[in-house]
Amino acid sequence: QRVLLLVASDVDALCACKILQALFQCDHVQYTLVPVSGWQELETAFLEHKDQFKYFVLINCGANVDLLEILQPEEDTYFFVCDSHRPINVVNVYNDTQIKLLVKQDDDFDVPAYDDIFRDDEEEEEDSENDGDGSEPSEKRRRFEEDVIERTMRRRQRREWEARRREILFDYEQYEYHGTSSAMVMFDLAWIMSKDLNDMLWWAIVGLTDQWVQDKITQMKYVTDIGVLQRHVSRHNHRNEDEEHALSIDCMRIAFEYDLRLALYQHWSLYESLCNTSYTSASLKLWSVQGQKRLQEFLADMGLPLKQVKQKFNSMDMSLKENLREMIEESATKFGMKDLRVQTFSIHFGFKNKFSASDVVYATTSLMENIEKDGPESSNFIKALDSLSRGNLDKLHQGLDLAKKQLRAIQQTVASCICTNLVISQGPFLYCSLMEGTPDVKLFSKPVSLCLLSKYLLKSFICSTKNKRCKLLPLVMAAPMDVEQGTVIMVGIPPETQSSDKKNFFGRAFEKAADSTNSRTLHNYFDMSIIELKTEDRSKFLDALISLLS
Amino acid sequence: TDLIFLIRFRHCCLLRNQRCVLAYLYDRLLRIRALRWEYGSVLPNAIQFHMSAEEVEWFNQYKKSLATYMRSVGGEEGLDLTQDIKPPKSLYIEVRCLRDHGEFEIDDGTTILLKKNSQHFLPRWKCEQLIRQGVLEHILS
Repeated sequence: QRVLLLVASDVDALCACKILQALFQCDHVQYTLVPVSGWQELETAFLEHKDQFKYFVLINCGANVDLLEILQPEEDTYFFVCDSHRPINVVNVYNDTQIKLLVKQDDDFDVPAYDDIFRDDEEEEEDSENDGDGSEPSEKRRRFEEDVIERTMRRRQRREWEARRREILFDYEQYEYHGTSSAMVMFDLAWIMSKDLNDMLWWAIVGLTDQWVQDKITQMKYVTDIGVLQRHVSRHNHRNEDEEHALSIDCMRIAFEYDLRLALYQHWSLYESLCNTSYTSASLKLWSVQGQKRLQEFLADMGLPLKQVKQKFNSMDMSLKENLREMIEESATKFGMKDLRVQTFSIHFGFKNKFSASDVVYATTSLMENIEKDGPESSNFIKALDSLSRGNLDKLHQGLDLAKKQLRAIQQTVASCICTNLVISQGPFLYCSLMEGTPDVKLFSKPVSLCLLSKYLLKSFICSTKNKRCKLLPLVMAAPMDVEQGTVIMVGIPPETQSSDKKNFFGRAFEKAADSTNSRTLHNYFDMSIIELKTEDRSKFLDALISLLS
Repeated sequence: TDLIFLIRFRHCCLLRNQRCVLAYLYDRLLRIRALRWEYGSVLPNAIQFHMSAEEVEWFNQYKKSLATYMRSVGGEEGLDLTQDIKPPKSLYIEVRCLRDHGEFEIDDGTTILLKKNSQHFLPRWKCEQLIRQGVLEHILS
């Protein structure tokens, strides 16, 4: 039987897709792969292919809406959904024929009980049938009165039940968050089938790291998942510790690392990486002159000469690189950066090729959202998908270069926004809007890049502001999307706190605000908190949002 | 009588030119023969445009000879020698569509929609023809 794979446009989905492709190829399952970047593309792809396929696999899309209603499939079509978006729509959870969800057993969902939301409507019809058999008039009248009383009571009960149902559903669907990475779920599947390989494990690692880079999961969940993956890594890679039986240097090996949180630092210079990573840039406040001085002090504290630090990392003196991680960690704690090291994995193959998981995530994201158009949207997806294979190192390096540009653009935009006070408090949330002529603003017309920018901006803003109340507010960010059509892309992110559970209410809030003002919005992305909006409707939409959330 | 040398000289030149032209025409024929193996029995219009009528005739006759031979070789149905020119490594291959080709039918009757940049995992023998035509690209992972 042939299968259609519908894959969303984020790195986690790409990794899950690669694992699933490898499994299908192993078992000779014929499939067709179609990338989708939003609900519209999903529906179009479904309509185009529904006559040819009976089995559909949706990766990182489709769990949070009522699939059967949107797609209107035939009776014998089956959907397998592997999506990290939560909350899962209740229809998808309780449908036991056409929709199969691939989730991990210990992911807790808090799904409302079946009886609280679904109710058979047959009881109503039974009433009207009973009225049919009447005999004598007086008996009939008495029974009629009893029936009327019964019916009003039932109607009242039903209204109460419906009110409670609305409440339960509202609570359940109010906050958006993310569950276990789809790539990890796919790897689990491969492991249970005993078909897991080191390659697939690496893709699962990249999928998890993507969730961490984009701040989609809590720190605790990340650490737990890293623990799970570490067991697999040691199972696959234990041969390297034994000198005698070690694999050849050309074989791929994965290693657990307690590495620095600096983005792309091994493929860049240490100085650039320190400037362009949100954590260091926000803590040292690098947009101000004092921040720059503090950076110099930080480097001096570690004893790293400027000339060395500005060189490419690979060309730094070996004596300096030897205890780099511990040295940086020590000095960083002095400067208030306690979490500069993070648990992650890296991959080695050959003598030259060493990449950390976050490097691959940044590279693949920037390949996928590359604004230089040398083809339709899907060719970026294809390039990004290819770059995940080890044979396509040139694409990976291209991605790394693009990622460097992207990170630099993000930092410069963040610095200018903070210095020109573009982040304003609207009451219940902070708001920042990028103007059209801003340099690199085209980069931010893509959802993932804009989300990254917003998160970095929020982190930096919290470090720069003295207003205690503002530090706890969420952020709404807008950037021009398509100048000709006059649309704006808007993103809402939850507030940045230490113990944040990363739950985002902007999805529902945007929907409600759009409804109440009749703004022309397009809720096309799979993440409900990212929408497209017509520029003219922006101010009334914002006003509605403010009044909704106050 | 003095002219005999000039005549002989010119005759040699003519013979040489004739040899060159024959070599050129023969080379064309060899290339046309290779086209049958590369493109299959139907040639794209762009190529047919550059062939003379006699060459087209020659091509058709070559096609017929090849078909007769293939039918005689492999038992009842014949053996398609133009498939699997290099030994195949796997039953199914991953292919990517390079341009919109429309619908494509495979052995069990189902059709696949070949759109630009879609990726498929299909039996090797169905894809070979399209790979040669440049519609599909074989992905090696």
